[in-house]
Amino acid sequence: MKETIILGIETSCDETSVALVKNGKQILSNIIASQMDIHQQYGGIVPEIASRKHMEFILITCQEALQKAEVTLKDIDGVAVCYGPGLKGSLLVGLSFGKAVAFALDKPLIGINHIEGHIYANFLNNQKIQTPFISLIISGGHTSLILVKEIGQYQLIGKTRDDAAGEILDKVAKHLGLGYPGGPIIEELAKTGKGDAIHFPRPLLNSNDFDFSFSGLKTAVLYFLGEKKERDELININDLCASLQQAIIDTIKHKTLSCAIKYNISNIVLGGGVAANASLRRALREAARKVGISIYYPPKELCTDNAAMIACAGYYKFKRGITDSFDLEVFTE
Amino acid sequence: MKILGIDTATEILNLAIINDGKLVVDYKVQKEGKTHSAIILPTLNCILNLTGIELKNLGGIAVSIGPGSFTGLRIGLATAKGLAFSLSLPIVGINSLDCYALTRRVLPGILCPMIKARGEEYYFAFYGNNKNSGNLDILRTYQCQKWMKIKEELLKFKETVYVFGPGVDDIIKNEKNSHSCGVDNIYFISEEKNYANALTIALMGEKKVLENQSDDISNLIPFYINKSAAERP
Repeated sequence: MKETIILGIETSCDETSVALVKNGKQILSNIIASQMDIHQQYGGIVPEIASRKHMEFILITCQEALQKAEVTLKDIDGVAVCYGPGLKGSLLVGLSFGKAVAFALDKPLIGINHIEGHIYANFLNNQKIQTPFISLIISGGHTSLILVKEIGQYQLIGKTRDDAAGEILDKVAKHLGLGYPGGPIIEELAKTGKGDAIHFPRPLLNSNDFDFSFSGLKTAVLYFLGEKKERDELININDLCASLQQAIIDTIKHKTLSCAIKYNISNIVLGGGVAANASLRRALREAARKVGISIYYPPKELCTDNAAMIACAGYYKFKRGITDSFDLEVFTE
Repeated sequence: MKILGIDTATEILNLAIINDGKLVVDYKVQKEGKTHSAIILPTLNCILNLTGIELKNLGGIAVSIGPGSFTGLRIGLATAKGLAFSLSLPIVGINSLDCYALTRRVLPGILCPMIKARGEEYYFAFYGNNKNSGNLDILRTYQCQKWMKIKEELLKFKETVYVFGPGVDDIIKNEKNSHSCGVDNIYFISEEKNYANALTIALMGEKKVLENQSDDISNLIPFYINKSAAERP
């Protein structure tokens, strides 16, 4: 069988990433230039700084990816680029660069939706997953439930009406002065806390649809902290983190499983940075087992933004002959 | 040698190709509701078809690096890098203020190209013709200030001062409102919003390529002048 090598590019937020993936499953290289330490000083991502850093990193990241994969540009069969959703200025650097490479090499350009990319992170490293499946994409920017009937056929079942799950973790962590990104910090602190110490709301738990809403949870946490401060009472930070995390996990678990049950789907596929959370994975796995549903998730390093997932998604589009023209525009949401 | 010039610093997308210092094509597009990202490669494809030039026959790429619209500059530079990297071509970044000054070098006096920045500020520099060397000397380096500040400095010159470039239309409007137009030693030159200049960029790039002074493709970034708002005190 002829090998297919796809060059993947991802610059939707604060990671500049370029990858080479063979046949949609074998990662030849997946280079990620993170700007996390730069944005940490500001307690969150500064879009103009992110765009500038992408411009600085894009070429060296691409060169490094090619070198590590021991691949030259002429070995590439197609260029897959994330074109949204994300930060406009960030996306434009990756898309402009990727389009020019495809144009110069006379190879197909394949535009990839960032959320679609997160789903395909599961197909890397030879993981076999049968369609149909429900995909839960959960990160600092997204909280979405997507029904994937067949490869390439997506139906959005539910999404957050306000903040994303990871955004709540970031905002609470910022408020507490814990740092950025909030997810991993809160997960670590939650390990020695009690998840039932403080009762925070589980928004939309009883709504009839599969949408999420997390801004009320954030308000509840900030209100709780304000009250404690006013009364000069000490808070147990570990209990707070564990209780917040538990509220998010309970909501996610309930919504995702009822979604799978309603649509009669027996496979759930996770993706996105928050899907790296071990407690969330465990809770979902245990609850799913009881109802005969299988849970799949990528290794931690492929949960967060990376170009290998973009290249993988690109491979499946390439195989079906789906390519884009060079007038492809970025989109923010 | 054929050089592709790219100018995405203003609202107008401008691509030009020169061959041994002579114009082959100079193409300008402005498409309402479309970013430069959507039209730059279709436009390149169009001029290649029109001229019969193939990408592999290019000898280098010259691109405007600003100052100017951050987003526009990044689209132009990321595209130029993608092309130059894939085709193993030398790349040259051209300062937009230098480019504007060069196009007006025959004027007898001080040259002050201006580009609109954020708020009421403008990017600018002062240039003067050096009669001994025949070159254009930079008298005051690239900066970003409000017009009133820049004007104060321009009024100190004994020579005639020519103010031009994409920032000038705004200033003319303001000066008219304050009834101070045409005073003193300052002349304004408007080009009616048509300021893209890929041809000069290509010519300046050709000179650099011939002198083996092309830029390091990895390190070439837009010339922002200012740090991002978040990084400023």
